[in-house]
Amino acid sequence: MSKLLNKQLKTLSIFALIILMCSIPVYYFVIETIWLGELDDHNALISQSIEERFSNSEVNDEELENVLSFWDALQAGTQLEPLKNGIFKADSIYEVEREDIWGDGEMERFRVLQSTIKINDKNYLLTVETNVEEASETIFIISIITVVFVLLMIIGFILINRKISAKIWGPFQSTLEKLKKFQLADESALSFEPTQIIEFAELNAELELLIKNNIAAYQKQKRFVENASHELQTPIAVLKSKLDLLLQSKDLSEEQSKIVSAIALPLSRISRLNKNLLILAKIENHQYKEEEELNLNDLLSENMEMLDDYIQSKGLNFTIVSSEQINLHSNKFLLETLLNNLLTNAIKNSAQNETVRIELIENSLIISNAGTQTLDQKKIFERFSNVSNESGNSGLGLSIIKEICSYNNWSISYEFEKNQHIFKVNF
Amino acid sequence: MKILIIEDEKELARDIKSFLASEDYLCESANNYADAIEKIHLHDYDCILLDLMLPGGDGIDILKEIKSHHKQDGVIIISAKDSIEDKVLGLKIGADDYLAKPFHQSELAARIHSVIRRKQFDSTNTIEQDEIRIDTLSKTVTVNDQQVILTKKEFDLLVFFVGNKNRVLSKEALAEHLSGDIADMFDNHDFVYAHIKNLKRKLKDAGCANYLTTVYGSGYKWKI
Repeated sequence: MSKLLNKQLKTLSIFALIILMCSIPVYYFVIETIWLGELDDHNALISQSIEERFSNSEVNDEELENVLSFWDALQAGTQLEPLKNGIFKADSIYEVEREDIWGDGEMERFRVLQSTIKINDKNYLLTVETNVEEASETIFIISIITVVFVLLMIIGFILINRKISAKIWGPFQSTLEKLKKFQLADESALSFEPTQIIEFAELNAELELLIKNNIAAYQKQKRFVENASHELQTPIAVLKSKLDLLLQSKDLSEEQSKIVSAIALPLSRISRLNKNLLILAKIENHQYKEEEELNLNDLLSENMEMLDDYIQSKGLNFTIVSSEQINLHSNKFLLETLLNNLLTNAIKNSAQNETVRIELIENSLIISNAGTQTLDQKKIFERFSNVSNESGNSGLGLSIIKEICSYNNWSISYEFEKNQHIFKVNF
Repeated sequence: MKILIIEDEKELARDIKSFLASEDYLCESANNYADAIEKIHLHDYDCILLDLMLPGGDGIDILKEIKSHHKQDGVIIISAKDSIEDKVLGLKIGADDYLAKPFHQSELAARIHSVIRRKQFDSTNTIEQDEIRIDTLSKTVTVNDQQVILTKKEFDLLVFFVGNKNRVLSKEALAEHLSGDIADMFDNHDFVYAHIKNLKRKLKDAGCANYLTTVYGSGYKWKI
């Protein structure tokens, strides 16, 4: 994985490098062709002007001998000599490589034009040479220039890249940061920084819409659970009161009474389930806002007292180890519900005459009770994951514990060790 | 004794009426806001049962109206809302009690008794029935002028039974009365049996007649 801009930069740089490398031979051939063409023209001009001057000066043969004798010394780069056999020869253009006569012994390249000119009706061979830069030197210089430009271009790319990254991608980065921090449960819609880039503006607009719709759907769903539970409360209340009335009828047989009691049990389960759903919905809807200083030790003993009847009737033995006073800032109802659910869970899932151990140490609450096999650690806090008809669990008790803990930023863990179910809340 | 039931669920209002019928109460009902406001202005009641969610208005406003006229009517809020805020708010404004739906009729009857008892100026906070005398303030019980020592739960049960005489009370209703919301969490309420057994024995030992009877298959009854 690499950044989009770096990836672009890399690709562009490689492309630029290839193109500029390809340009080296092209430059060379173009320059060479133009140059040679110019040199050939130049040689032709010189040869033409020499021929014209001779024909205009009207030298006699004797003078011509003299001129030819020191011609090479006067006219550097040209040679004039009588044509052997006197036969007219077609013009020829070629290159030679030899040491420069004045040079330091290095090999030089020359472009040569050999043509036949007529002086006093005799054919002479005129050779015009011009020094040409060697191919290797040309290629070397072009390469150096190209490499310099490649480097300049890459440095330019990097600098521009940085600037673009900071300026153009700024809004994108801020969008990304906001998305990273976004939590659906917060229910606050996001608004992104305005940007001049069409793509980012579109992205931001789409994201804002998406988030808005998601929040609306989330709220709707939460409200639905809350409203549904509220709506269920009245029919449950009517059913309960009808059963109370039915129990009062004088001519109710024992058989019928038993049926009434048998209806009362599932009804109270529905009622419990409904209440728990409502609590969950209210926690999710952040309706437990009022917070106060609470002493966990006191609340625990109050709760134990309320549960005393159920503890006694199961013959359970509660051992409390509390080495410190734990004070918390939280919602009272939620903390009570937390304790209640933890204790109720331990009571319900303990066999007769067992021991339940409660520890209040190091800012945490540990409740352990005996059991035969471990519960599924991953699923235990999920809603309706451990519904059982025998214990009458609503399947929501532990989910509520979990929700209350996360609402307060406490951590809850479950372990099974030495045949003990251990629940630990870290405050 | 006059009782006003402000409740939009007519079935529930009717049930409350018929449950209380055996007692010396005159029950009227109002099932919307306007009706309720009219009734509280026209009459005085010993106890008003007030639902908070009503067609046409909020029950809390009715409560404010009652209190602003310095009426002496006892008010029990019966609400499906069951939120701590509503409970606290209702009690702060001046409601005498708060009962969350769904509730047992017997529980409501007991609460009505308690509210009316507290509102009566001439009352000495005692309940008398034949040889039994219950002082609800000092929480003492005498049978034939002889004190019977009861635990708090046994005392609560006795008051509950006496307030619901000749009615069949299910184990759940008794458990809910004793443990409140917590009873909701359990299916098994066998502990009620232990308390009733103890209460029965203590009353019998003090020479009290056997009012407390078991109704097979459904629960218990205070029979006179």
